[in-house]
Amino acid sequence: MSDPSAVGEPQLTAAHTLEYAYKRSLGPVLSRFFTGLRDKRIQGVKTGAGQVLVPPAEYDPATGEATTDEFVDVGPGGVVTSWAWVANPRAKHPLDHPFAFALVQLDGADTSLLHVVDTGDESSMSTGMRVKAKWADETIGQIQDIASFVPEEAS
Amino acid sequence: MAEHAAVVGIGQTKYDAKRLDVSQPGLVREAAIRALEDAGLEWKDIDAVVIGKAPDMFEGVMMPELFLAEALGGVGKPMLRVHTAGSVGGSTAIVAASLVQAGIHERVLTVSYEKQSESNAMWALSIKMPFAVAMVAGAGGFFAPLIRGYMQRSGAPEDTGIRVALKDRQNALKNQYAHLQMPDISFDMIANSPMLWDPIRYLETCPSSDGACAMVIADAKHTKASGRPAAWIHATNMKTEPTLFAGRDQVMPQAGLDCSAELYKKAGIQNPRAEIDCAEIYVPFSWFEPMWMENLHFAPINEGWKMTYEGATAIDGDMPVNMSGGVLSSNAIGASGMIRFAEAAMQVRGQAGEHQIEGAKKALGHAYGGGSQYFSMWIVGDQPL
Repeated sequence: MSDPSAVGEPQLTAAHTLEYAYKRSLGPVLSRFFTGLRDKRIQGVKTGAGQVLVPPAEYDPATGEATTDEFVDVGPGGVVTSWAWVANPRAKHPLDHPFAFALVQLDGADTSLLHVVDTGDESSMSTGMRVKAKWADETIGQIQDIASFVPEEAS
Repeated sequence: MAEHAAVVGIGQTKYDAKRLDVSQPGLVREAAIRALEDAGLEWKDIDAVVIGKAPDMFEGVMMPELFLAEALGGVGKPMLRVHTAGSVGGSTAIVAASLVQAGIHERVLTVSYEKQSESNAMWALSIKMPFAVAMVAGAGGFFAPLIRGYMQRSGAPEDTGIRVALKDRQNALKNQYAHLQMPDISFDMIANSPMLWDPIRYLETCPSSDGACAMVIADAKHTKASGRPAAWIHATNMKTEPTLFAGRDQVMPQAGLDCSAELYKKAGIQNPRAEIDCAEIYVPFSWFEPMWMENLHFAPINEGWKMTYEGATAIDGDMPVNMSGGVLSSNAIGASGMIRFAEAAMQVRGQAGEHQIEGAKKALGHAYGGGSQYFSMWIVGDQPL
């Protein structure tokens, strides 16, 4: 490799920001899930084998078959099945104080939902702990309608 | 090629400007289900899934094939994605076919799609880069000078493109899946439509479509056992060349000339115009019909326009082209090449309905992409080669 500075030529760079606006069409299954959140309902969908998927999916990952038309209410309580503590949240994190990203298996569900558990400190987090959904002040049909999950006994 | 392979199932969605009623998985699923039903198969019968689409930037989902696995019954199976710009639908079908021809798989599902309502493909293709001239021209702006070059070389009458657009828009009325259905289309309507990128008028361009196309490709054993009409794959071919280099003929790319010549040789075709019954070719702007007629060796250089002008490429002509209405009538970009391949297969299977060419036995599917630099093609027939 030759040293560019040896020939006195600066090696050029320039900033390049690329930005586009996109749109998402959710389809019937996830549209129903998010509309439910607006009404403070958490819904799962049943697969042909009777499993309840939360969040619901259009197609059963196990078989590739379409999931059924049967939606069931789950939660608002559930169990933490796995978690990772965020000790120093950054500006774009969902909470402005330490929290856990966690998988929460809601009561009545066979799968776990990725969300946020707000316990205040890491020592009060544990796998298998019970939590319940805490709703946002305003619900509009998005995953943030569940502000966080909090320890069940605390509420 | 070691094994015979054939198209035994075809599924298309209705092409539309905005399919807001379905997710991306829902869109590809719709075409895939129809292909399976057409083949009389179930998900469990499929050995592998090959998916294609245009740049990820079009929908803003990185590697969308990964989140489409369950929608396409791909869990637990080999699933791979092909990408060759606008020609991708064609090359995706060829990769799927090659897996069968190589004896690796017996039945492969291949799907391609675009959901342009979730994006703005025009400007995703025209990025203003540092240190480069910002053309912000879109695809039409790129291809307009090539068309102008063709007009100057060939001396083709100025209304050739209008005639192509009129033919394809009339053909689209015979195709239930076509996006643009304009029953009152006329020569004057096209001639008087706004000049978008001189010399390309608005009604000489393709629309932006949502849609998906799928095929099931099977080996000889399963094809014969299915008892269904088959489109036997006689030959496939792909060729590539750089976007820009000194001396490159962008109007009449060498890669396309070589790709089709080799394709015919593989398929045992000496005289393409006489031996091929009909063709579905990638014409996103009307003038590309005469240009590709030459590139595909259907007409001598600078004489492709005569085929359009004399009605040879009309649905009742001696070399019908784009009986489905073509890309001019439906452009779900990633799917567009596969639609050409599938429509060619539909013709030899005798399932093209109102736009069927009676007795079609041999058909060409063609796609191109990038700056006229990627080519993919296949010849299908009603009997094995």
